[in-house]
Amino acid sequence: MTGLTRAIEDARIAFATLADRVDGLAHPTLRIGVTGLSRAGKTIFTTALVHALMRGGRMPVFEAMQSGRIARAVLEPQPDDAVPRFAYEAHLATLAADRAWPASTTRVSELRLAVRYATPRGTERTLTLDLVDYPGEWLLDLPLLDMSYADFARQSLALARAPARAGVAGPYLAMVAARHADALADESHARELARLFTAYLAACRTEKLAMSLLPPGRFLMPGDLEGSPALTFAPIDPPALGTMAANSLGAMMERRFEAYKNAVVRPFFRTHFARLDRQIVLVDALSALNAGPAALTDLERALDGILAAFRTGRNGFASTLFRPRIDKVLFAATKADHLHHSSHDRLEAILARLVERAHARAHGHGAALDVVALAAIRATREAQVRRNGETLDAIVGTPEQGQEAGGHVFDGAEEVAVFPGDLPETPDALFDPSGAGFRGIASAPAGEVDFRFLKFRPPAGIGAGAAIPHIRLDRALEFLLGDRLA
Amino acid sequence: MTDDRVSPQRPPRRPQVFRLDDRDLTLAPPEPEPDDSSAAIPDPARKRSGAVSRFGMTLGGLFWTAAGGVASLAAYVGLSRLVSDLYAQSPVLGYVGLAATAVLVLVGAVLLGREVAGLARLAHLDRVRDKAASAIAQDDRALAEAVARDMLRLTADQPPLARARADLRGHLAGIIDGADLVRLTERTLLPALDARARQMVSEAARNVSVVTAVSPRALVDLVFVLYTAVSLMRRLAQLYGGRPGALGMVRLVRHVLGHLAITGGMAAGDTLVQQIIGQGLAARLSAKLGEGVVNGLLTARLGLAAIAVTRPLPFTALPAPRLADVATGLLRKAEEDEAASPR
Ligand SMILES: Nc1nc2c(ncn2[C@@H]2O[C@H](COP(=O)(O)OP(=O)(O)O)[C@@H](O)[C@H]2O)c(=O)[nH]1
Ligand SMILES: [Mg+2]
Repeated sequence: MTGLTRAIEDARIAFATLADRVDGLAHPTLRIGVTGLSRAGKTIFTTALVHALMRGGRMPVFEAMQSGRIARAVLEPQPDDAVPRFAYEAHLATLAADRAWPASTTRVSELRLAVRYATPRGTERTLTLDLVDYPGEWLLDLPLLDMSYADFARQSLALARAPARAGVAGPYLAMVAARHADALADESHARELARLFTAYLAACRTEKLAMSLLPPGRFLMPGDLEGSPALTFAPIDPPALGTMAANSLGAMMERRFEAYKNAVVRPFFRTHFARLDRQIVLVDALSALNAGPAALTDLERALDGILAAFRTGRNGFASTLFRPRIDKVLFAATKADHLHHSSHDRLEAILARLVERAHARAHGHGAALDVVALAAIRATREAQVRRNGETLDAIVGTPEQGQEAGGHVFDGAEEVAVFPGDLPETPDALFDPSGAGFRGIASAPAGEVDFRFLKFRPPAGIGAGAAIPHIRLDRALEFLLGDRLA
Repeated sequence: MTDDRVSPQRPPRRPQVFRLDDRDLTLAPPEPEPDDSSAAIPDPARKRSGAVSRFGMTLGGLFWTAAGGVASLAAYVGLSRLVSDLYAQSPVLGYVGLAATAVLVLVGAVLLGREVAGLARLAHLDRVRDKAASAIAQDDRALAEAVARDMLRLTADQPPLARARADLRGHLAGIIDGADLVRLTERTLLPALDARARQMVSEAARNVSVVTAVSPRALVDLVFVLYTAVSLMRRLAQLYGGRPGALGMVRLVRHVLGHLAITGGMAAGDTLVQQIIGQGLAARLSAKLGEGVVNGLLTARLGLAAIAVTRPLPFTALPAPRLADVATGLLRKAEEDEAASPR
């Protein structure tokens, strides 16, 4: 970034921050970002959080609610006119009426909630809560701001050529090898490259591979940018020597990469990310365990990228004038209801291991950090099964239609008990650098995997008035909101 | 992780799917079922009274054990000689003497037993507090559950807490982390007791300040302060579930004084009060009134220290009372008096 653009950018952020602060004096407002990679559980978490605040439920650890200090929470008109509203009612209706999971997050959306509460001393106050749900993939774009096209191309191609991905990257790599960066720029060729690159990224994300680190984020989550030139580029090998001619393919790619940064990444940083006060990062560790060691390593790398994003902008002009805004970050391993509660500590330990490096950094930056294993909506019950003189801790739920286990395909109505496998006592066993820590469906035959997490249907009995069962949602709320309701 | 034992390496257990009609499958109860068998729970003090005799083999312990042995032997010799002397004078007198001795020994044993039980209950409070602290530090669910159950027993004889106890019992079966469970226990069971404790302390402080302000002699002041402080400590210990006997009181007083010495009297939150007093409010009051305030403050500080050593859980979810909380009335009164009195 040149000095001038950076200064302008910082000034705009500073201005927005100042405006927010002035507004915040009159109406205390808390902006909570809900993020996580695709299918981590953002939509479900946000829906459950809003429902819990509005309808209550069994929340012993969320002090303000448990002690009855929250008088009511009501939805308010969404303040940012250019951002879609989070479709809370529609999502809840899908859960209640169809007993199905709502559609996932593909773009940023926002919801405003006014919480009327009494302080412990008795004064009544209102806290305005802005929930911002956005794809974690977009956070992985923030490091691109500090990269040149050449850096980006080198890193992306190295990832694509790694053994875990080379299989699905084949067609794309073949096309890259066929044409050089010095070749004349050609729109149809660029489109074809971008198409194959996108297809390769999408293939990495299937349940079998479950890869996480797939920048640039908008290729998989284009939002309203689908087909625009800013998305019509792809990493190619840089020219053998010297600089590229202005009309070469490489130069065109470089221009579009810069356009992507300017038109997509920077506005996102400025209008959404830089204004958050609190952040919850949802992590679907179970899918990575399901897939195998390569997916887990990839997830770790992606989380590292996400954490790097929390530092972006910390050293600029904006941050010297205004303290960094995000003061609390919660990492949550979602879908904990896929495990018996006796394994939750181990899941938490795996998550802590995943964000270990980040932990060390965040403490230095003064943001409070915590990890938790939770299920925003609990779809299972627990059971114990005796087999061969051993007691297995199992969970009971209704697998989604089409899920299969041991050759049996479920019809979406049958309830079964699942023993998903034993998580190791210490997480290090999973992170064996040789990739032999455990076996997942990406590389091992179905009968020999160490873990198997089936997808369950949401629980029956969710309605507008009824409380939704959860695991540790109250703990997450206490961490994110507790101090602001005191 | 809480379980540090290295379990024997066994082959990983493969994921499996079971049908619900499997004969070997037991479903967990759908909703946590509170167990309301509080009547059947044994009294911890009686069960654990043996724990007091773990004096270990320190030199002091050895000395006191030996001294106790010698004293009981002396008492035995003295009594048996007395009884046989009486018997020599007249058999009737001898039997009366024997009966009186038997009653003496019996009652002595009962008294001693009560003292031991009182000590045990105080020690139990300390242990629960230590357990709670480490359950929070290590986020240990099993330990936290033990703490919660201890607290249910300690408060079992407090009728107004019946509802809170039922709530807590319900939560015991839920999926809650160790540290959170201890905090939840504190928030559920202790606010009412804390409020009562605070009130006791501030009442005692006010009484002391009034009485010593009007009492004619320093000796009366001293006796009254001592009496109030000791009875305050006993009532606080009772409130929080430890019913100390006489020996227990001695220990408690030592404990409180020790706590006061460690905390150096005023905690950080008390600086304001300290400043008000220090910068001569007391000095500007008429001497006798000032004395009353100072005595009252001393009582309040003793009371706070007593709360800290008798409350079975550390203050984590709830704020610890500060001097300003229990001595506000006292300070306001002092200020009013000052304003009213002519310079
Ligand atoms: N059992 C269970 N499944 C969940 C939970 N949260 C998410 N899921 C599953 O994960 C899928 C993706 O969740 P969603 O919130 O749509 O993801 P995102 O919006 O892309 O982050 C859902 O369709 C569910 O199958 C949960 O709390 N419990
Ligand atoms: Mg924990």
